[in-house]
Amino acid sequence: MNRNFTQTMSVRCSDPERFAKLVEILRQWDRDQASADIMGYMGLRILADRDDPGSYLIVADFGVVDPDVPAADEAARNNERPETQATAAAMRAVLDDDPVYRDYDWEYLTDG
Amino acid sequence: MNGVFDTGIDEHDIGEVTLVARGIATAVAPETGLTDVQAELLEAIAAALTGHRVDYRTLDPLGPAELADVLAARDLDYRQRIVHHMVLGELVLRPIPVVVAHRVAKYAEALAIKDDFVRVARRYAQGAYGLAWMDLERSGFVEHVREADGDAADAARLPSIAPPDDDPALEARWQAFAQLPPDSLGYAVWDMYDSRGFAVPGAPGGAPPYLAQHDFVHVLADYGTNLRGEVEVFALIGRADPAPQGFAWLATLVGLFETGYITTSGFFDRDVRDPVIQAPGMHLRVADAIRRGKTIWQRHCEDLFDFPYHQHAARPVDEVRAMLGVPPKSATALEAGSAPLCSLDGMSETQRKVFTERRGGAG
Repeated sequence: MNRNFTQTMSVRCSDPERFAKLVEILRQWDRDQASADIMGYMGLRILADRDDPGSYLIVADFGVVDPDVPAADEAARNNERPETQATAAAMRAVLDDDPVYRDYDWEYLTDG
Repeated sequence: MNGVFDTGIDEHDIGEVTLVARGIATAVAPETGLTDVQAELLEAIAAALTGHRVDYRTLDPLGPAELADVLAARDLDYRQRIVHHMVLGELVLRPIPVVVAHRVAKYAEALAIKDDFVRVARRYAQGAYGLAWMDLERSGFVEHVREADGDAADAARLPSIAPPDDDPALEARWQAFAQLPPDSLGYAVWDMYDSRGFAVPGAPGGAPPYLAQHDFVHVLADYGTNLRGEVEVFALIGRADPAPQGFAWLATLVGLFETGYITTSGFFDRDVRDPVIQAPGMHLRVADAIRRGKTIWQRHCEDLFDFPYHQHAARPVDEVRAMLGVPPKSATALEAGSAPLCSLDGMSETQRKVFTERRGGAG
């Protein structure tokens, strides 16, 4: 049984122009990952908080690509990559504050 | 193994064919063993391309290093095609077990093949469908469109096969095919559009001109226009492409019409109500389409999307077939139900209805 892993980033970006830049940074990240060597990164979502305008949750999912490497370890490897560090720095430049990170293992998934 | 068939391609040594089959089967087998669809498809492809029939269900394992030894004298292109057969063997699985996708990557590595489609299959196995589609699109279609447009910068920014703007001049050019002789390529492709109610390129709702190139192949290869016919056409086109990236076409159609890994390609939408590859006889039809594509590649060596069909539209269909070296369908494919273009069996229900209204005949 392969257990996936999710990292969330709670961020604040109160300026719509800077938010548009944030989205473009992450869109470019996805484009780059699609043509890069396979690793655990599966994709992300940006969720807007309806009760707190300017507050967002970025949800990045990681899966198993090597049966001997857990998804959480794939995510840890991803964090160490220079391109990940560069993207994180670019994100911070458009945010109001530093992101708050949380790490989760998947325990249950609705799956027909 | 029970004999050599007439492939019309080239000679193959039964010993090597069996060893390669062992390697492919070992690479793509889930823990419970090869599925029926995997075994039938891979066996049919081996028979169509080599003339030797190998029972994929009874083969001994062969590891990556041993397979690399077997193929050591083969060039990069040949080894890459072998890897594509492995990937095809994966793509018909849903889900693709991570262990299988990882194992195929190890075989590719042993064969010194760095292949985008191995990565796409690994993304499917991982569940990263969005990234997989971005990767597949970039690996295949964008490159094709870029070459066709001759503008790399624009092609990189645009959707690979975007809905086209109306173009009255282009529409008129296609409609003019109706005035050509009935045995001509142009008339045949116009008749295909008209009889099924398809909008011609340039008309509102018409296909992009680049994609419409494949409709000439429907005529030349005599394949139907339902999902099964489309899979046959793109299997042929993909294998006829001198560049291995042509495999993207078949990989995409399997994702759209068999396993549902792809939601939409921009020109076809997912439809898995009636799986195509698992349909009776389809493994034989797909294998024969791949064989025909390989023959065209050996005789003509040009991406069929780049061929100037419009320049040859007034020529008889048979003459253009001869120019490209299109071989006939095999008896096996015909017996398996490969429908001709003009047959009702080669049409979807909607196409059949329109055809009957417009032509009134039995196809």
